[in-house]
Amino acid sequence: MGEALKRIEIPIALTIIATLLQVIPYYFDIPVLKDAAGTASNGVLLIVACATFVGVISILQVHGKRVQRRVEGWYFSVLVFVFVIIMVLTGLPLAEFGLGRNNSIFNWVFTNIQTPLGGTMYSILAFFITSAAVRAFKARNIEAAIVLVSGTLMVMGNAPIFTSPVPVMVDISLWIRNVPNMATMRGVMIGAALGAVALAVRTLMGIERGYLRGGGEE
Amino acid sequence: MSIMDKINNLDRRIVYLLAWIFVLYPLIFPLGLPIPISSDARAWHSYVENNVKDGDTVIFTPMYGTSGMPELFPMTVATMKHLLEKDVKIVVLSFWTEGPLVFTALLRQVNPADFGYVYGVDWINLGYLPGSETAMGALATSFQNAVANDFVEGRPLSSFAIMDNIKTATDIDLIISFETGTPGAPEWLRQWNTPYGVPMIVGCIGVSVPGMIPYVNSGQVSALMPGLTVSAEYELLLQKPGLAVAGVDAVSTSHLLIVLLVVIGNIAYFLTKGDEK
Repeated sequence: MGEALKRIEIPIALTIIATLLQVIPYYFDIPVLKDAAGTASNGVLLIVACATFVGVISILQVHGKRVQRRVEGWYFSVLVFVFVIIMVLTGLPLAEFGLGRNNSIFNWVFTNIQTPLGGTMYSILAFFITSAAVRAFKARNIEAAIVLVSGTLMVMGNAPIFTSPVPVMVDISLWIRNVPNMATMRGVMIGAALGAVALAVRTLMGIERGYLRGGGEE
Repeated sequence: MSIMDKINNLDRRIVYLLAWIFVLYPLIFPLGLPIPISSDARAWHSYVENNVKDGDTVIFTPMYGTSGMPELFPMTVATMKHLLEKDVKIVVLSFWTEGPLVFTALLRQVNPADFGYVYGVDWINLGYLPGSETAMGALATSFQNAVANDFVEGRPLSSFAIMDNIKTATDIDLIISFETGTPGAPEWLRQWNTPYGVPMIVGCIGVSVPGMIPYVNSGQVSALMPGLTVSAEYELLLQKPGLAVAGVDAVSTSHLLIVLLVVIGNIAYFLTKGDEK
């Protein structure tokens, strides 16, 4: 019995059943299958919700080890450790104890630490792009020149300092966005979608086994 | 070393300092540059103004975290103000963990009660739904099964009057999604727009715009709010200048710096090209 449960056919069969359970009701109106698919989806939601706790435990384990071993930058791990614990404890949905989304500490940390830090991480892009502007955006050949010119026109079309005195900049940037860009993106999307269909068919036929440990090899 | 060589080998710290000055100066001393209104802003404003009818039910979803706030928060606030001026039912939810906290930050700027909206009757906050696209699909088939309790009061959905008429995706008239990535518009399209025909409008960060355009052109996305500049234009159309108008001068000056550096960098490159050979 134990050996039978280890057979590679079992996870493959489960994958096929779970996939068809979602795919068939998407295209055909079969109430029984729709209900079954809904139940399966709700089961997935439960699993994902539980995985959140695994994530917290994992973060504490990873950073706990870094602190314990005093690896380079271990003091950053102490900060992560402390704030994970603060946010988890103060964010617990126990309103009767003053915890949860209205807790003042929880809100203060989110508003005054998490929000500016998150914004800063994204805003750092501005420095990298500016640095790239002076270093990388060089018309070294025809292809680079096309990227350079179209990129610069797009930048100009997005800034009122250019579009206000030269309104045609907006039309130029919109044309680049809506014609060559769209044609390219459509190609990319259709290519990716065809690849996804091929992968799905291979998975359904049991040919693609990359999602199994060791690729499903015995 | 000539000046052109120096430009070619410009220390990145100088570039960073210039970027810092060009962004910070207009934030401290606003320039008040004129902001022309683009077709994107008009399309968004027109859609909310004309296509959202009284009595419609709208899903309002901030699908981003704190990192997306500088660019997306202004348009989220402005659109919420626009919606609240109408008589609609609003369902707030997010498939991003920080989405509900972003919306809590929004509530500090816009209070639905000031517009006569009653919680549980005219609007409801369902909070974060784990499960990404799977959760979207589950929500489309049954709100009651996919969400146990609301986010604000922790009560079952069936105890709220607004949910009496909201059971599945077919009860929703519009999705307004503000997003920085996955899950986002493609997932909404697959799970809500294509199977149930629910229209959607999308606000996104600038780098996501190229990928959104095919959906806009096909009509699957009914209107697009691409980044902070268009948010500022939308605020002007609403005659409610806010966070975006305050920040758009910095967009202008930072873009000006990039264009200047590209031009100077290329001049230096071509003038020194012969020397390298």
